[in-house]
Amino acid sequence: MSNLTAEQPVNVRTISEGARPFEVVAILVKRSMIRVRRMPSAFIPSLIMPIFQLIAFSGAFGFAVTSLGIKNALDWYVPLNAMQGASFGALGVSFGLINDMQTGFFDRILMAPAQRWVTVISSLAAAVVRCFVPITFVVIVGYIGGMNTPGGPMAIVCVAIASVAIALVAAGFALGLTFRMRNLGAATLTQFAIFFTIFLSTSQVPLSAMSGWLRGVARINPMTNILRFARQGFLGDVTWEQSWGGLLAMGALLILTFIYAMTGIKKFDQ
Amino acid sequence: MSIALADPKMMASSSSGSSLFRHTFALTRRSVVGRLRQPAVLAPAFIFPLFFAALGSASFNKLAGDPYFTANIAKSFMNYAVAGAVLQGVLFGSTSAAGDLATDIEQGFFERLLASPISRTAIVLGRLAGSMVVAVVQVVIFLAIFLIAGAHVESGPLGFIGLIGGGALLALAMSGMMAGLAIKSGSAEVVQGAFPLVFVLMFLSSAFFPRHYMKGWYRTVADWNPMSHIVEGMQGFMNHDLNASQFAKSWLLPFCIAIVSIAFALRALNNRLAAS
Repeated sequence: MSNLTAEQPVNVRTISEGARPFEVVAILVKRSMIRVRRMPSAFIPSLIMPIFQLIAFSGAFGFAVTSLGIKNALDWYVPLNAMQGASFGALGVSFGLINDMQTGFFDRILMAPAQRWVTVISSLAAAVVRCFVPITFVVIVGYIGGMNTPGGPMAIVCVAIASVAIALVAAGFALGLTFRMRNLGAATLTQFAIFFTIFLSTSQVPLSAMSGWLRGVARINPMTNILRFARQGFLGDVTWEQSWGGLLAMGALLILTFIYAMTGIKKFDQ
Repeated sequence: MSIALADPKMMASSSSGSSLFRHTFALTRRSVVGRLRQPAVLAPAFIFPLFFAALGSASFNKLAGDPYFTANIAKSFMNYAVAGAVLQGVLFGSTSAAGDLATDIEQGFFERLLASPISRTAIVLGRLAGSMVVAVVQVVIFLAIFLIAGAHVESGPLGFIGLIGGGALLALAMSGMMAGLAIKSGSAEVVQGAFPLVFVLMFLSSAFFPRHYMKGWYRTVADWNPMSHIVEGMQGFMNHDLNASQFAKSWLLPFCIAIVSIAFALRALNNRLAAS
């Protein structure tokens, strides 16, 4: 039996004081990573699939890309598969959230003295941490396969920025949907949305090689700009001209999906 | 309280040829109706192949400017992509059909089938025949869509039949393998978990891009992958005059695989019966 006396100081914060936001974020990110360690079967596919796709795309469609003057097909497909891997890795937060909703743990998080934005930011931060694993693996496989980086280290920086941004966009969209739908369909729908958005861009070949309807769709798809930003260091130098469109697209998508996630949690509260 | 008794005539004839046919037919019908009642499960087998074919046609159509491609492979990339879409659709469909069989096992319906006076073989064959029916419908719909979009079956009406038959036999082969896995494991999750293997088989073949343009180890794997030869048989129907090699590749090869896979499924069934 505990024997607390007045002399023993107890470290308790008042509710009005609230929990320190970054402490909460750190704890929830750690919890998400523990889930990855305890359920590797749920995370491993998001690691294997981008690597398999990298091998399959560069092996199968290599000719279509190299015939356009690109030295190595991997230079074209590494950024694509890093971004795809990052987005699917980030989706794990949606699966985790659904699990928490089903087990009632999410209600306890809502009852805790933490602000709502902290809950959303925690999931987004967990998505960022998760997405670094597939990005690293894809880049390593690319190096082993002999990819070129004429843009130097900035090539890797650009692909990392683009991949993290896409992971955040995917996670934000998935969270918004999950708060509204409250079932696994949210994660599945997000997977479809990412899949189609990525493939309806310059994912396979450059705009100049496309024909018909796809060319028109890819031209207005923001993913085309983001892919151009991610690929520039693999195909040549990193320049502002190649960057600004991608940065603008990433910024706009991040703001929109963050708003979608925040309005989602508010709806969930109501 | 009422007790349902099995018809003695039916029990007596459960092992005869005509009853095997009747039972298989009834279970085929159940399988097809079951698939039609789950449009959400069936949809990916239609949407993804058509999407990838449309994407490939728009992305790689400039390849049709290559003289080798035009002379030896296809006149347009869309004509080339049709067979890949058929292969993809049939593989998706066969996997989810086996998933239904595993669900039957998980939910106890399979046990009820075993307890009823029907042929054991019909339980497997009904599911496989159901897959074939769905595959035939799939191929017909795909061909109709591609023909409207401007594709041509260069080998004529017999080539059309060749494609449908090839799709049905491939469905038989793949669903046999997956049904064996479903019966062996009794888990829909295991069947779905095996799908990436099917995905790998499909991508490491000439389903999406001609083998002629592949290089290195990837080309070697594609050369040895039976899926390459099956899909090339189907591509032959789409892009060349009718010849025997098209039937050998797209009918005989899946038929041989089907014999092995059905034997695997029936053996898995026997083992399950022996264990229960």
